[in-house]
Amino acid sequence: MTRRTITVLVASIVALSSLAGCSASSSNMPQCTTTDENLFILMAQSVPSATQVPCVAELPAGWTFGGSLVQSGLTRFWLDSDRAGIHAVEVDLTRSCDPSQGVATPPGPDEVNMDVFLVPGLPPSFTATRFAVFEGGCVTYRYRFGGEASPSLTVEAQEALSFLSRRLIVREVELDFGLSLCGAFAKPCAS
Amino acid sequence: MESTRGETPPIEQQRRAPRASGARRRPSGEAPPLPHGLGKTGTFWLLVIGYFVTVLIGVLIFPSAARLFERFDSMRMRWIASFRVGWLTHVMLWINTLSSRWVIRVIRWGTILALIAFKRWRQLWVFIGAVMFLEIAAYQISLSMARPRPLDVTILAGWNGYSMPSRPLAGLAVSLVGATYSLVVAGRPRYRTKWAVAIVVAIVVFARLYLAIDQPTSAGFGAVFGAAIAIVAFRWFCPNDVFPVSYRRGKSAHLDVGGARGAAIVAAVSDQLGLEVLDIKPVGLEGSGGSTPLRLRVKGSDDRPERYLFAKLYARSHVRADRWYKLGRSILYGALEDETPFKTVRRFVEYEDYTLRLLNDVGIPTPEPYGVVEITPEREYMIVMEFFDGAVEIGDAEIDDTVIDEGLGLIRRMWETGLAHRDVKPANLMVRDGHLKVIDVFFVQVRPSPWRQAVDLANMMMVLALRTDADRVYRRALLLFSEDELAEAFAAARGVASPTQLRTMMKQDGRGILERFRELAPARRPVSIQRWSVRRIALTAGVAALALLAISLLISNWAVFA
Repeated sequence: MTRRTITVLVASIVALSSLAGCSASSSNMPQCTTTDENLFILMAQSVPSATQVPCVAELPAGWTFGGSLVQSGLTRFWLDSDRAGIHAVEVDLTRSCDPSQGVATPPGPDEVNMDVFLVPGLPPSFTATRFAVFEGGCVTYRYRFGGEASPSLTVEAQEALSFLSRRLIVREVELDFGLSLCGAFAKPCAS
Repeated sequence: MESTRGETPPIEQQRRAPRASGARRRPSGEAPPLPHGLGKTGTFWLLVIGYFVTVLIGVLIFPSAARLFERFDSMRMRWIASFRVGWLTHVMLWINTLSSRWVIRVIRWGTILALIAFKRWRQLWVFIGAVMFLEIAAYQISLSMARPRPLDVTILAGWNGYSMPSRPLAGLAVSLVGATYSLVVAGRPRYRTKWAVAIVVAIVVFARLYLAIDQPTSAGFGAVFGAAIAIVAFRWFCPNDVFPVSYRRGKSAHLDVGGARGAAIVAAVSDQLGLEVLDIKPVGLEGSGGSTPLRLRVKGSDDRPERYLFAKLYARSHVRADRWYKLGRSILYGALEDETPFKTVRRFVEYEDYTLRLLNDVGIPTPEPYGVVEITPEREYMIVMEFFDGAVEIGDAEIDDTVIDEGLGLIRRMWETGLAHRDVKPANLMVRDGHLKVIDVFFVQVRPSPWRQAVDLANMMMVLALRTDADRVYRRALLLFSEDELAEAFAAARGVASPTQLRTMMKQDGRGILERFRELAPARRPVSIQRWSVRRIALTAGVAALALLAISLLISNWAVFA
């Protein structure tokens, strides 16, 4: 193989890999049924105190997984809709929510307090925010529907989203690696 | 070997001849003068990359390997965490800011702005390309590996995404190493800077391990991957021999002829030509970018005194540079002449040796060829020839009618023998003892196009007129060429047909030499230098597509810099 061939090959790989990069995140969906996914471990690490981790239960027709961003203190993923547009729903997992909303923390670690439904805008550009509060964390749902999409799509979106208990992820990590996923439900870590 | 012509000597003399001249045949199995090896650094990098590639493949194929590494890394991280104390954590948090997005952006933008300021376009594109490749590849690998952050140890600082490879460390390493290769002069300054970069990256690696942001294997892979991408990119696409970093005026696109290479040159010339080199000195660097020109001082023999020889050292980097140059010309002007690039450095020197001998045979005053010397097989060769000691460049010499006539006669002789020099410029014409000599015959072409021959004549007349005047040169030219031929020459000599050095000197001269020649010669329609062909169109379309792809990649990955 000549140097030129190698150069062309490398250039092609770069070009193809970069093109693939545009859609790479979309395949990385936190599906509630696949608890052994490393993505859940990472999401749990982003907010170690959170007893729940948001996930996608089942996508209704017309909805697709848009992408995800996981970093310390924040897990975000979003759903696209053929009627409501891209980034129609954005889901954020954080340590806490805006305290002004006054959502009460539930008494048990496996419970989730939903609601507080804000509707700051009306069609044609519907926007709304919803909170789910649980021990050690909070999930914020932001709806931004473009065009003339019906606000009733929020129901579809809400049905697509669910929660996974951190307890399950901690157990998977202990079984797989024999190590502790530092945070809620886990054994103490070296600090 | 000293050139010998005439009848073959008796066989007894033939056997002794090499020994008598001092030349020696390298027996099978003996290393060449400058063996090609990876060296200690190369071996180290190869081993490190091999280790990480093996780990990556192993982890991807065997999940049990991932578990093994995770446990192994956690064990080491728990040990590091046992050193955690308040003040040290503050120090490590501060050190970790060196791998922050903002610091990396400052390094990248600083390098880019410096490269623009110094007009180092090649280094600029290689730097941007290396950074982009690294960011894209590291991102893709991190998605494929999907490795979570460290387990079993509390993470003390912020992070983003999967941990393998550590993208901040990879980004920091590619930026620092890229900046080093593109801005720091090769040699001791670069060597020291590389060590400084290695120490900085190592400290940041330790800080991130201490803070449990990355696992040891993720951090190590990130740092090595970033450094390796920058090193490979610069050594491959921007070799220092061809695109050197220099803060002095003029070109210095040349190989270092000290150290091991210097010793190899001495040994090679001794073995292969039977000449003892006493001194090697780079010469005429500003006029040559395609090779490393050298002046060799060789020991005298019984029949010849101590003298100088001229040598041109060629490496594979020169072949690549020639290929890019010809590609550019093919796109800009079409197939003006033979733009087929050389495939190997061996062909490079073989061709120059051939042209040198050819011109000598037809009586053109060129240096006497001494032959080709192999430094490293298929990688480095040197062509050795006579050195015109005491000669001065025509731009600095006194020009009389003898020199003018010799210059014009030289072109006439080339026309008659079906040759073209193709690089007639002041740097390639020397005057010694009132007589003209031609050097650098690398571009000589056999059976060139009539256009090319006409251009040679025009260029020669312009060079001669620079030190005299157009009218005088034109009058002398009429003694050897017809008015039609002179008209053709100046109709053909347009734009890039003349070498850059000649065009620059004509501009500085300011007398309008070319215009004066055109006034003197009969009117003739200009000969277009543009040649259109299917090959040129396909080549241009291909390069344009690649450029568009590169630009779209740059735009889509702008976040890497912005």
